[in-house]
Amino acid sequence: MRYYIGAEARLRRTVEDVAMSVFEGWNYEEVITPSVDYYDLFEQGMGQREAQRGFRFTDNDGRLLALRPDVTSSVARMAATLLSERPRPLRFCYAAPVFRQQAQSPAEWRRENTQLGCELIGAGGKPADLEILRLAAEILSRLNLQTRYCITINNVEIFNGVAAQMNLTPEAREQFRSLIDTRAAAELQQFLQDYDSREGHAFSQPTQLTGTRTVIQTARHLITNARSVAALDSLDELWTEIESLGLQNSFEIDLGNVSSLDYYTGLSLKVFVHGAGTSVGRGGRYDGLTGSFGRAEPAVGFVLNLDALTEVLGREGAQQ
Amino acid sequence: MITIAIAKGRMQDGALALLSRAGIRVSEDAINSRRLALKDETGQYRFIFVKPADVPVYVEHGIADCGVVGRDVLLESEADLLLPLDLGIARCRIVVAAADPEAMTKVQGMIRVATKYSQIASAHFGARGIPVEIIQLSGSVELAPALGLADVIVDLVETGETLRENGLTVVEEIAESTGRLVVNRASYQLKTEEVMRLLDTLTTAK
Repeated sequence: MRYYIGAEARLRRTVEDVAMSVFEGWNYEEVITPSVDYYDLFEQGMGQREAQRGFRFTDNDGRLLALRPDVTSSVARMAATLLSERPRPLRFCYAAPVFRQQAQSPAEWRRENTQLGCELIGAGGKPADLEILRLAAEILSRLNLQTRYCITINNVEIFNGVAAQMNLTPEAREQFRSLIDTRAAAELQQFLQDYDSREGHAFSQPTQLTGTRTVIQTARHLITNARSVAALDSLDELWTEIESLGLQNSFEIDLGNVSSLDYYTGLSLKVFVHGAGTSVGRGGRYDGLTGSFGRAEPAVGFVLNLDALTEVLGREGAQQ
Repeated sequence: MITIAIAKGRMQDGALALLSRAGIRVSEDAINSRRLALKDETGQYRFIFVKPADVPVYVEHGIADCGVVGRDVLLESEADLLLPLDLGIARCRIVVAAADPEAMTKVQGMIRVATKYSQIASAHFGARGIPVEIIQLSGSVELAPALGLADVIVDLVETGETLRENGLTVVEEIAESTGRLVVNRASYQLKTEEVMRLLDTLTTAK
């Protein structure tokens, strides 16, 4: 629960305007979605575990409503229903508050935060992935964060391929995922002892998960299953494009980013900025999402946290 | 420069000894002073000494890039941190203890559990469907059964001496706890080289 007064409110508005003008420059249309909608929508869109973090209440007739915990669900449904006849691809952007119950964790005290986000629906493959990475990079550099941000990229199919090849039970898969997510090297090695899998070890050295192209090369020595190799190839190609745009200093590969696996289907990204203790943005490809609203098509997007960006920039302004 | 939050108390000596073996030294004078923030001799690292439960807070906010803290504290906190290294220091166990070794089977209805570790205790009993009433204390937990406040306690045990002196025996072991190096997620991405260097030196030294 946070108030913005005077100069802070102006700064926040400027950050929002910068992001929205970059989106507009890339032909993203602004969309405003309902703040309150039926809970079912968000469960379909985000999966039960995430949607349950939304604030829920009942309508007059007893149906369950929720304050929107994300915008993507609404945009995906809109694309699949209201706009099903429109020619693809669709490009949408928004600046909208979302509401989530937070774990009792010290850094995530905010129930409400404003997402600056975009969705590119009906376009698959490398060009679409690259487009949203360039968009994110452009917004951050227009905010004068050029040398101080880092966007990490991964392809979740690398993990999925290895997990499938190891034939894990759902519980073991979740344990494996969580050990990689927290970089718990010792526990991970212990976990892998029970599985006769060379490939799993690709994730067991924290120092080999993060970096530039060498990360992919190292992983290739251990990972040979077709599904993961295809994902490594596509990550490799994306990295080549990033280099040719001269953006390699602002990007990093992070094979250990396996945080929202049931949501993302390919590219996944996180945004970090010096001065912010947690990530200030995330996104990726979610080709499975629109299908749950009746029209399966590729989709990719990201969100930046307006409040976190405002805080970093505001603190800087105060120091100058 | 990397800032490392170190849990005061049991963890502190083990952590400083390990760091010193890794070539990261803090002068004796500085340690003996009452300052809560110190730099090492090379100026590459800054140390802050805080209460154990506050280590995850400093690290999750990114005020400290890394931290040294027991697994017991991490299990109790819900902080979102990276846990790349088990330092193997300050080894101890988190146990259920009682005056009567048969307490767990004898008590009917609801077991009263006194503890500093309410999350760990409720997760432990909850996972096995045992109904409990958790009584949150902040110290001298061993007193609770003798005075009739609780049937059992959940606490940290190093040698078992304190338990024995208060007439308690270990009924169940919940988990082992050692000192862990924890890392802030943003620092891991933004100060990758420094964090990796610290990880490598500590891995070699431990």
